[in-house]
Amino acid sequence: MLELKAASRHFGGVRAVDGLDFRVSEGEIVGLIGPNGSGKSTAVNLVAGLFPLTSGRIVFRNQDLEKLPTHKRLQLGIARTFQNIRLFSQLSVWQNLWVAQNSPEDRARRGFFARWLGGQKGVRREIAELLEFSGLAAKQDELAANLAFGEQRRLELARALATRPKLLLLDEPAAGMNSEEIGQLRNRILQLRSRGITIVLVEHVMELVMGVTERIAVLNFGQKIAEGTPAQVQADPLVRKAYLGGA
Amino acid sequence: MLDFLQVVVDGLLFGATYALIGIGFTLVFGVMHKINMTYAAASIGGAYLGLLVLKVMAGAPAWLVFLCGFLGGGALGYVVYLACFHFIPYSSPLATLMSTVGMLLLIDEIIVHATEGRPLNYPAMFDDVMLRAGEFSLRGDLLLVFGVSVACMAGLLVLLYRTKLGLATRAVSQQPTAAQLCGIRIARVNAVTFVITGLLGGIAGALIGASVGTLSPLLTLPLTVKGLIVTVIGGLGNVPGAIIAGLLVGAFENVFQLWRGVTERDLYVMLLLFVFLVFRPGGLSSKN
Amino acid sequence: MDFYYGMAQLIGVHTLLGLSAYIVLLTGQVSMAQAAFFAIGAYTAGMLTVLAGWHIVPALGASSILGAATACAVGFPALRVKGLMLVIATLAFGEGVRLFFFNFDYQIAKGNIKVGPLGGEGFRQIRYFPENGWTTFDVMLFIWLFALAAMAVLWWFDRSRYGAVLRAVGEDELAAQSVGVNLTAVKVSAMTVGGAIAGVGGGLYAHYTTHIEHSSFNVLVATFAIAYPIVGGLSNVFGTLAAVIFVQAFLVEGLRDLGDWRNLLFGALIVLAMNLRPHGLFGRRHA
Repeated sequence: MLELKAASRHFGGVRAVDGLDFRVSEGEIVGLIGPNGSGKSTAVNLVAGLFPLTSGRIVFRNQDLEKLPTHKRLQLGIARTFQNIRLFSQLSVWQNLWVAQNSPEDRARRGFFARWLGGQKGVRREIAELLEFSGLAAKQDELAANLAFGEQRRLELARALATRPKLLLLDEPAAGMNSEEIGQLRNRILQLRSRGITIVLVEHVMELVMGVTERIAVLNFGQKIAEGTPAQVQADPLVRKAYLGGA
Repeated sequence: MLDFLQVVVDGLLFGATYALIGIGFTLVFGVMHKINMTYAAASIGGAYLGLLVLKVMAGAPAWLVFLCGFLGGGALGYVVYLACFHFIPYSSPLATLMSTVGMLLLIDEIIVHATEGRPLNYPAMFDDVMLRAGEFSLRGDLLLVFGVSVACMAGLLVLLYRTKLGLATRAVSQQPTAAQLCGIRIARVNAVTFVITGLLGGIAGALIGASVGTLSPLLTLPLTVKGLIVTVIGGLGNVPGAIIAGLLVGAFENVFQLWRGVTERDLYVMLLLFVFLVFRPGGLSSKN
Repeated sequence: MDFYYGMAQLIGVHTLLGLSAYIVLLTGQVSMAQAAFFAIGAYTAGMLTVLAGWHIVPALGASSILGAATACAVGFPALRVKGLMLVIATLAFGEGVRLFFFNFDYQIAKGNIKVGPLGGEGFRQIRYFPENGWTTFDVMLFIWLFALAAMAVLWWFDRSRYGAVLRAVGEDELAAQSVGVNLTAVKVSAMTVGGAIAGVGGGLYAHYTTHIEHSSFNVLVATFAIAYPIVGGLSNVFGTLAAVIFVQAFLVEGLRDLGDWRNLLFGALIVLAMNLRPHGLFGRRHA
């Protein structure tokens, strides 16, 4: 579904991502881990289209993403969440989700005639469902700025879901969560997969990564140094060295 | 051809004042990431304050008037800092912008009321001196304008790059939080930046008055626009860029005037700005 | 009574000016060009009624369309220029338009006299209203028809998805892009709507003052345009209206004898207001 072929992104002399080959098949939950500065977030940003590749290619469902701006990639089905939450703080929870309904289906629903044929009801129902799923139904009119941290995280995820993604890139969603919250997040991710969404999970919190992914790729200095099942990766000496340093 | 060269040189010399104004805008932007829309008005205001000397001492020499303009500008700079920047929270950039615009109007109107709307004569130095080289002449007063401006710019560059204060200023412009953690008092650096740019503005205003011969509140808006044009062409936050851009704008302005006359001149300066905005939004020294 | 009608006319026209800046400000763009679109609307409507004999309503329609078209054209290059650079660029554009009208002559003979814009002298004798028997009261109502319509449209936008999208873009462009919002479409459309509103405002302005010139559309006016929504707060259209009333009524009413101190007090008022209420009279949405 998604393939990065020898993808590189250089910022001047810094090789944030360097010749990365990375594949994700439809329906998988793949983890992307590595020490700080290994290029995980850059990889996400490259797929999302925030900046162009220095070299290499990114192909999504047989389409080269090269010239596509971020909002067009979204319409193809690529959505992402942000490590440091970027909600629209001055808008309500409901409005945050409403603004995110930009998938081709939702756009069609807003078309001139569709609107009068039940389009609006569909919009309301979908948002209500998302709110249910994220446990935010009671807070739908609350300003995003007023939500508790955990609620904000859930809204960040719900907003990405409102775009009807086929591929969801989660950028460190578990940061700052306790065990119980991580458990809930894990369940939610599994539920999303059962709805047909492919997931790439960039994460530091090993409890989540090991507990929900089927396959993990490990990055260091912008390159992939290991790949395999959680068990394989945990046992890999190169991975240990990258995280812990030395022999 | 000779006419053209003469016009270019005159323009370059006068352009040094634009450079000073551009530096003022760009320095405040660099340190505080905000535009001080009041700057040109405060500079002219400083020049007016210089004229107060003549009220006290009827036959005061021109250089004293200039000096008072210089100091007056610095004082006004501090007042602007207090009124528009010190108290407004960092998270309200619109509020700061608006307050500087309000201040611009306020200073303009105060000048109009204080002078009853009549332009005032400004003393000049060396205005009777003309250096000649064949058919080519260099006006003495313009040379002075250029000389003093260059001296001020040199002084500023020394301050920025060779003193502790300059270092603190540059630190704040790059990383305000880290600078605070190193013990630099941001409020103080900001206030000092305003005073220094105010001093530069004051002398620029005085020099403009000196070379034009009169001072009038009508100068403030066009000077604001030109100063901003210089800032953009030189690159926001780029002091050497502002210097080059100021000279360039001065020269171009004169050339446009030679070519199309006074009424259309400003229109072409505006076009020059748009050319830069389209092709080089980062300014002269940018890569894109 | 005529004095109050006159003031109401002024407030109405300035409300349109403020609203044109309001919608653009929602997307995070600070535009000092609204006075330029206002000017274009003014000269267009004036020329159509005076030189071409048009009825006021289609003339206003044309000025709205021309204002919108110019704004749309400005909107695209404006995308390339961020933050404070946009302020400067739009300021320069505004000045450019003003200078254009300063140099603009287009006169035709009507009977014994020549009418039409004449460069620095401006455009005099825009006498559609008096020539057609409109009273001051009629003109006031007419102006307010448009002002209220503009407010209604923007109020409706604010409650619609478009309004939420505008504000999302204004708050965080990166996040907006990442959920699929087309920044270009949003920012340019806001600019275009602003231009349309300013165009109508300008057309009305030209007709109620009967005489316009380049200096009627200078940096001061551009400042008034953005001052109203900033001072009034961006949470809703009433903030802008309140700011217009506050500024104009207070300054004019409170100081009738000191008419030419108006601008000075305007300046002082703005400085004070921004220090005391940096988020505007109506503030932000309640947190």
